Amino acid sequence: MASFNSNEWRAICDKFTNAQNLTEIESRNDPENDPFRSKYKARELLREIYCSLKNFEAGEGEEEGGGESGDQRPTEQPVDGQREDLFGQGFSGDSPAGLRAAKLGAVEYYLGVNHVDTEELPAGQEHLMNCMKLLERCRVSSPNVSLFIHVRNQLGILWAGRDETETAQGFLETAESIYQRYMKEDGSPPTDMTEYFAAEESLLTHQERIKRFELAYTHTMYYLAQVYKNLGQTERAATYCHTTLQRQLQLNQFTPMEWALNAATLSQYYITKGRYMEGRHCLSAATVISDLAGEVPSEAAAQENEAESERREHLRQKRAEIARCWIKYCLNLLQDAKKQLEDNIGELDTDRQEELKRARRREEEEEEKGRKSALLFGSEDTFDSIASIEEKVMCLFPLDFTEARSVFLVGQNHVTQAKDYFQMDGYVTDHIEILQDHSALFRSLAFFEEDLERRCKMHKRRVDMLEPICNDLNAQYYLMIRRQLMFELAETYNEMMDLKLALANRQADTQSLDNHTIKKFNHLCSASAKYFQMFLDSLCSPEGKFPERLEEEVLRPALVARFRVARLHSRLISTSPTVQLDNLNKSLENYKYVVQYCEANPEAGATVETELELSKEMAGLLPLKINRLKARMASNN
Amino acid sequence: MTSVRVAVRVRPLNKREKQLSSKVIIHMKEKTTTIQKPTVRGDELKGAGKTFSYDFSYDSFDRRSPTFASQEKIFRDLGFEVLKAGFEGYNACVIAYGQTGSGKSYTMMGPSVRSSINLHDKGLIPRICEGLFWEISHRSKSDAVMFHTEVSYLEICNERVQDLLKKRASPTDDGGLSVREHPRHGPYVENLSKHLVQSYSEVEGLIILGNAKRTTASRGVNDFSKRSHAIFTIMFTQVWCDAEPLYETVSKIHLVDLAGSEKVDPTRTVGGRLKESADINKSLVTLGHVISALADLGAGVSTTKQIFIPYRDSVLTWLLKDSLGGNSKTTMIATISPADVNYMETLNTLRFASQAKNIVNSPTVNDNGSMKVMRELQSEVTRLNQLLKEATQVGHEVPLSSVDVKEELNETKSLQAVALTKNRSSTWRETLNILQEETVTLRKEGSGVVLDCCLPHLIGVGEDLQSTGIALYYLKEGRTIIGKASCTQDIVLHGPGLLSVHCVLENIAGTVTLFPQDGALCLVNGSVVTDPCQLTQGAIIQLGKGATLWFNQPTASQLRLKYQSGLPSVFSPSVTDSSNSTENLSKAMVQNRWYKDAIKLTALVADECKPGLAKILTSAGSATNVN
Repeated sequence: MASFNSNEWRAICDKFTNAQNLTEIESRNDPENDPFRSKYKARELLREIYCSLKNFEAGEGEEEGGGESGDQRPTEQPVDGQREDLFGQGFSGDSPAGLRAAKLGAVEYYLGVNHVDTEELPAGQEHLMNCMKLLERCRVSSPNVSLFIHVRNQLGILWAGRDETETAQGFLETAESIYQRYMKEDGSPPTDMTEYFAAEESLLTHQERIKRFELAYTHTMYYLAQVYKNLGQTERAATYCHTTLQRQLQLNQFTPMEWALNAATLSQYYITKGRYMEGRHCLSAATVISDLAGEVPSEAAAQENEAESERREHLRQKRAEIARCWIKYCLNLLQDAKKQLEDNIGELDTDRQEELKRARRREEEEEEKGRKSALLFGSEDTFDSIASIEEKVMCLFPLDFTEARSVFLVGQNHVTQAKDYFQMDGYVTDHIEILQDHSALFRSLAFFEEDLERRCKMHKRRVDMLEPICNDLNAQYYLMIRRQLMFELAETYNEMMDLKLALANRQADTQSLDNHTIKKFNHLCSASAKYFQMFLDSLCSPEGKFPERLEEEVLRPALVARFRVARLHSRLISTSPTVQLDNLNKSLENYKYVVQYCEANPEAGATVETELELSKEMAGLLPLKINRLKARMASNN
Repeated sequence: MTSVRVAVRVRPLNKREKQLSSKVIIHMKEKTTTIQKPTVRGDELKGAGKTFSYDFSYDSFDRRSPTFASQEKIFRDLGFEVLKAGFEGYNACVIAYGQTGSGKSYTMMGPSVRSSINLHDKGLIPRICEGLFWEISHRSKSDAVMFHTEVSYLEICNERVQDLLKKRASPTDDGGLSVREHPRHGPYVENLSKHLVQSYSEVEGLIILGNAKRTTASRGVNDFSKRSHAIFTIMFTQVWCDAEPLYETVSKIHLVDLAGSEKVDPTRTVGGRLKESADINKSLVTLGHVISALADLGAGVSTTKQIFIPYRDSVLTWLLKDSLGGNSKTTMIATISPADVNYMETLNTLRFASQAKNIVNSPTVNDNGSMKVMRELQSEVTRLNQLLKEATQVGHEVPLSSVDVKEELNETKSLQAVALTKNRSSTWRETLNILQEETVTLRKEGSGVVLDCCLPHLIGVGEDLQSTGIALYYLKEGRTIIGKASCTQDIVLHGPGLLSVHCVLENIAGTVTLFPQDGALCLVNGSVVTDPCQLTQGAIIQLGKGATLWFNQPTASQLRLKYQSGLPSVFSPSVTDSSNSTENLSKAMVQNRWYKDAIKLTALVADECKPGLAKILTSAGSATNVN
């Protein structure tokens, strides 16, 4: 740089600062009809810098004697991965030639980004590739490693935008490995590209250098997450999102609530994959970090001040959303455990339970190992609080009632919390979804409950929370939700009916059912049938006509409802032959519907295979039963 | 009834595209739309096309083409359905989606409402409104229906809702309106102004007003539609005045003009799980989108897992909840440019449209408990088959009785104790059949059940041994023949000494006269009658040796009253004052401590051709007490 006198150099530095300012600050105020005004100005300045550097290089090149001859390389585009060792060959980063290449490369880089930003992609690509070419001559080292990574990040984005995801992947993965190797072999705080054009006195502190370098790499991680997502490698994508979050936390580059929500959302991904340990970790971290966003302003404070009011609303909403993520965690954990433990009619399989309990010890060891190798969140001060939240709820499948209950209670706490914000008045859909989850929590817990009486009470709780809402909601606006509720209520009543019968049979093995039990049984049975019928009625046209062809999304539910109605009618207990006959006829009619519908629409059969098979059987057998009843009635008259 | 129809419409090349001598890369054939990837130099092979199928593909590229889709055609295909839904009482929603300048506003509004010189070019919104008022004027002539139409117009910009039809309350008032949901009234915008409209021109005026406000509200010129969504809502109420009680339907028709697709991420605007674009989000601020998309992908793979994804809902999704998850007919029109320069945007639009059916995040119904039911039923089927098999082994002649015995054994246990329990709901339906004849009503009074009948009638009190119930025979105007079972009589009685035509009762304006037939034994209040005899309230009639009937006659004045006020609803007690009812209205009260819940009514006669009689039996008639 000796040939630049200090004034010339200072002018270059000023131009650079100016260009940066135009790009990052001024451009935000550009008018709609001239949106790139500042960026174009910045581009001009960058071009001038480029020319100055180039002129100077030409002059100096003569002095050094043919430095340019080394440039006569084959012109094919350097694609990452072709060069074997970016660390072993080329100019050292702090040699004059190396520095010169880096500076010129940096200007090419900024020009490239400028063109991309102004929607001139081919030109942008050319500049970025020029930067790549210049760097090719250099060894990765502290003065240039940041540029090595930045330019690859930009090329990654560029190629991904063209649907050439693999090319993007190449650039980004190289950036990743450059970072890792640099940190392993060198690790000193690298020069930031802005420092190439900064006066001695305004060089960055080590801390600031590290911060900027790490941020560039965080972006690499984030871009790779997207690339893997676009390539369909969701698991890898999730890992990279996880790493991105982890780095944000470690480097203290995050806003608490936003981070917490992202972590909570990531937990939902892990839940879908059955990875409850990771899910729990994300949620615990979300809870801890969301607290960093501060106290929720009191209602009084909110009334006095609009900003406080908005803040209150924001914090309450986000916390309620995190609570809803927790609910799903508890619910899915219980449901998955149930799937592991149930026999073919959905009852607890005690053999399986014993087997899983024996296997538990091994799992616990694995959990411990997993914890050690997992990507853990947390800085020194948050680490313990995250762990203490994790301890409050298990991440292994609950295997008995006590364990299930502990998961249930955590879920129920979050239900209360979520409902506090998502109230019925104002948030109908959200409120109901939370209630549905609450009901599902009860349903899962009931599976673990051995006492039938108490099990029945749990189902009663479900009915109590859903029934009033189902009847209260506007049928037109909330059609879909109501259908869900009707179906769930029908099934819950059915469940209660079975339990009542089982209880009665258990209590009085030899005696017949007493009047009260029969009344109760019939009530539950009719209630179940009523809600199935209500569901079916909701499919009717305004004139009350049942559709001839069922739409795809209701095909299975509708046929199942018919089937269940058929079954329920034949279970009603009555001594009156007329009533019996009536019930059996209704039953037959519904079985027949299933059979006939599937005959007319053969594709429907596949969705209700077993139901159809049984309906066929019953449609054949019931007439016999009906005839017999008729015969008996005739002989009695 | 939720259904989504998806239409794609391509516009002609615009000036700029012509200047750039753009190639046309869109081709439509029937319902399909094909997009050709622009060829890159030396890369001819990559130019393979992608074909998408929709409910409608509208080729509006060339006016002279025979397949040209005009505004009129689009209205006929899509607008008619919207109007039909509205008049049927459904909600409806039309959403226009596409890149800025792809013809969204043209499709929805037309060239410009203010200067709609060319009437043929009017867009969907004006046509739908016109159609609505045309139909209203048409219908209000013929039917007894009243119509009430209100409109509102709002804009969503940066997640803030602005009322486009309200004068600015104060210059500082830019806080935006909040969107809420009500269990009975659905989603709504708080404090949004609603404007009563009576004619199309009024609507047009409001649209112009709103559009003007939309323009001035934005900083830039002409780009208002780029960044904001606009929702024009028609709230349409129909009231049938002749119905009792008043019957009304309310339908909301949302007409939505979405912001330019290039400015918004469709996944954020309509809550779908898409945008396959390979674009990478640069800023870490968007990390949430990526994670949400991953969670969504995960949930998509495992259908049984239900998860929660925060910050998914935008204001728009929220507002359209009733259209997307309710009883609504939703139509999506995606508009596209035909030019190669817009390839990526157009492709994104087409992809979005092809998945639009999934955007309607219709919550699905999951069934959980069938497993157990099927297991039980399976064993029942096996049991029945087994019985059948055993039965047929015994002999072909008596299969049923054999099944009987076995099954009886199985069922007796539970049936023994059931004795007098019954199923109320099916009984109720039968009861209704009778009650719908509107001459009798049934109500509860204390522990009794009261049967009111506004016609003169007979109540069986006698020793009709074959019947175990109470019978009420009402007497319509004209003649009613009473006798033992054969073919001519209207009331069949059982008992010794009855002739097939035993006597005739004639009801003339509430005055009932008994005409004994020759040789028939008829007693009124204990005295034998052989000549016509007018019956009075409370008369006891004995026919033959056993059958005894009790005559009841609501007074003439009572009758008049009832006919004047129209027949009472079967569900409301006709008279509430019981002392009055004892005198004026007859009633059959069945008081039965034990069987009060077990009243069973059976309709035996409901033949309209006959002068009219119904026989109502109670199953537990042994302890009847006729009042």
